[in-house]
Amino acid sequence: MSPITVTDHTIVQEVTIKAPAERIFNALTRPAELLKWWNCEGKFQLIHAECDVRPGGGWLMRVQGANCRTGQPESVVSGEYRTVDPPTTLEFTWNRKGEDYPESLVRWDLDEKNGCTTVRVTHSGLISEQMRARNNGWSLILQLMHDYLSHDAD
Amino acid sequence: MVTNARRQRDRVFRVVADPTRREILNILRGGEQTVGGIAQRFRISRPAISKHLRLLHAAGLVETSPLGTATMCRLNAKPLRAIEDWLGDYESFWRDSLESLKKYVEEENK
Repeated sequence: MSPITVTDHTIVQEVTIKAPAERIFNALTRPAELLKWWNCEGKFQLIHAECDVRPGGGWLMRVQGANCRTGQPESVVSGEYRTVDPPTTLEFTWNRKGEDYPESLVRWDLDEKNGCTTVRVTHSGLISEQMRARNNGWSLILQLMHDYLSHDAD
Repeated sequence: MVTNARRQRDRVFRVVADPTRREILNILRGGEQTVGGIAQRFRISRPAISKHLRLLHAAGLVETSPLGTATMCRLNAKPLRAIEDWLGDYESFWRDSLESLKKYVEEENK
């Protein structure tokens, strides 16, 4: 597992899996498979998934305990597929119901070599890029946050 | 159960999503200001600015104290920590998800 990178509020995580990319692409796009793996004991568990896997098609997931920090019992996350390019690329928008946060974007890149696949997930637009462009102001918030956190670390 | 932490976090996001309120924070970044001093910098009415200030105050981003007949406002960036925490939740969420995906696919392949 690679270390986390957080740049401009994009989260990038990578893992290498001993399996062909196609196998992983299926695990990411088929509800029956998603339900088998998308959970983490004591933290969160996927309990329902819908995937209309085509550009513009919708997806929806219901996750139990998706946010242990806030103690919220269940969250509904949904969005729309933007890029569906099996078995290498899957991109979709990400909206968490009932929260005021702007829409973000999740991208999966699968790179297969010698039977192993590097899986990279990129979650961008957290504190949305498009909002930053439109209102030209999130950079201030990030700056203030940075000021505060650096001060806090002293 | 919706916790106070989450409520506070949502409040911070809502408050900073507005350009006027962000501009007020920007002004206060340069130092303390009276309500009147802030209002002078905007074309919108003083009651409208006061309303924005009330919301910033409710989210804990602006602290106020009386100064004679005026009200002094100062920035408190601490609540922005909620945004950082929210990003941290996503970090661990994706880390756990990838670990789980790896385990599932590799064990099935055996």
